Amino acid sequence: MELVMPGIGLIFWTTVAFGMVLIILRKFAWKPILYTIKERENYIAQSLKQSKRIQRELDELDNTKEKLMIQAKATAEEIIQKARIDGEQIVKAAQQKAQKEASQLINDAHNAITAERRAVEKEIRQQIALLSVDIAKHVIQDEFNDIGKKNKYVNKLLEDIPLN
Amino acid sequence: MGVKGKTNKPVFDKIHFSVILLISAMVVLMALPVQTYGAETVKQEKEEKGFDAGKVIIDHILDSYDWHLADYGDLHISIPLPVILLYEGKWHFFFSNKFHHGKYAYNGFRIAAEGAKKGKIIRVLDDGVTPDPNASFLLDLSLTKNAVSIILTSVLLCFLLINVARNYKKFGSHSPPRGLASFLEPIVLFVRDDIAKTAIPEKKVNTFLPYLLTLFAFIFLNNLVGIVPLFPGGANVTGNISVTITLAMFTFFTWHIFANREYWKHIFNTPGVPIFLKLPIPLMPLIEIVGVIIKPLILALRLFANITAGHMVILGFASLIFVLGAKVASMGFAISPLSVLFVIFMNFLELLVAFIQAYIFTFFSAIFIGMGVPEEHH
Repeated sequence: MELVMPGIGLIFWTTVAFGMVLIILRKFAWKPILYTIKERENYIAQSLKQSKRIQRELDELDNTKEKLMIQAKATAEEIIQKARIDGEQIVKAAQQKAQKEASQLINDAHNAITAERRAVEKEIRQQIALLSVDIAKHVIQDEFNDIGKKNKYVNKLLEDIPLN
Repeated sequence: MGVKGKTNKPVFDKIHFSVILLISAMVVLMALPVQTYGAETVKQEKEEKGFDAGKVIIDHILDSYDWHLADYGDLHISIPLPVILLYEGKWHFFFSNKFHHGKYAYNGFRIAAEGAKKGKIIRVLDDGVTPDPNASFLLDLSLTKNAVSIILTSVLLCFLLINVARNYKKFGSHSPPRGLASFLEPIVLFVRDDIAKTAIPEKKVNTFLPYLLTLFAFIFLNNLVGIVPLFPGGANVTGNISVTITLAMFTFFTWHIFANREYWKHIFNTPGVPIFLKLPIPLMPLIEIVGVIIKPLILALRLFANITAGHMVILGFASLIFVLGAKVASMGFAISPLSVLFVIFMNFLELLVAFIQAYIFTFFSAIFIGMGVPEEHH
């Protein structure tokens, strides 16, 4: 019977002891412990979230990088292609221009030569004419002392002689 | 964090100091009277022959006014504990060695040898034996073996947990738990996630968590200390009905002080029950109230019975050696390996029981408290 008879003394001391333990632990133990555990859990959750976000950002960056690389390669190829075409065009243009200039030069030269020849021919013809006249004068002087006759003859001669 | 840690440091030192003070007080307390008392009792109880296992077991399980350490022959070595009595408006303080193990009366008080108050202090007549038939109420606030054990484990508990809290503050929230904290943290998480959060609505968990944690730690530590057979362990604290009823009352009052309108409505006007069960005879409210009273009682009885039974079985196996040894000495020796083996097995079982019973008590407390704070829906 004694086993199941509660005693006031022990109830009193248990109440005091447990009450004190409850008050002390509540303030000085559980509060900081629970706070720190909660804080750590928040920290871990946040870190996980952050790492996931960073992973995603890294993936995105990777994607962007790849895209940029592909784009850059394409641009480079385009530039090279364009440069090649431009170069070819430039070469072609230069060639054409050179050709044109050359033919111009040839043309000019040809014209110059022709003109010169004309001039020379004209002078030679004049000289020939003058010489012929001189020769003729000398030849005919004796024959034609008469000036009137002489002039008539010269004019007739001039008309008769073809230009070439 | 750092500032907080600094402000709490003196508190920790005070606790540290008080532990040392208490232990040294205990040592001083036990040193003097033990020997003189031992010498006086040498020649007593020669007539006791054989070995009364039942008496030994009950004596170990019950609370007592002195802390029995060991017997050597007829020498009883025990620590006398303070007796505090209030009788007819007058306080009486003395040490329990004045009773000489219950053999003598002191100042008109003695430990009852039989009757309804057996083992408790009663008022006796001048002859020192007969109980006073006209005795008025005797308030007995003696620091008995269990009371002293509770105080010691309480101090130990505060010391350990404040130490752990200091550890937490020191390393902060960005570090894994270290040292004692790594032992405590799974228990804290267990109580928080598997006990409090399953039984109590999410919003109210934080209100009751410190209580549940304290309850768990208190019962667990007292269970463990109870298994240790040597001083200062061995007191059957959580196997004492007074202690378990007190703890159950704490749960009861926490439950009802924080109970909300929804809960009281459920008690006095249970929804979904036909009206003739409530009026004119309030049958349902009566049943509910009986249930409310029985719940903490069962809580108290469960812990008390489990721990007491465990102690009884261990003591029974240990007593087996002496029961047989008292008949034939060689039998005692023969049975001892088996007994020791069983006691070891039982001790391991008790370690498990210490945890399980702390868990069950805390879990049911959480369920009862959770019943008191249902979600209000209107």
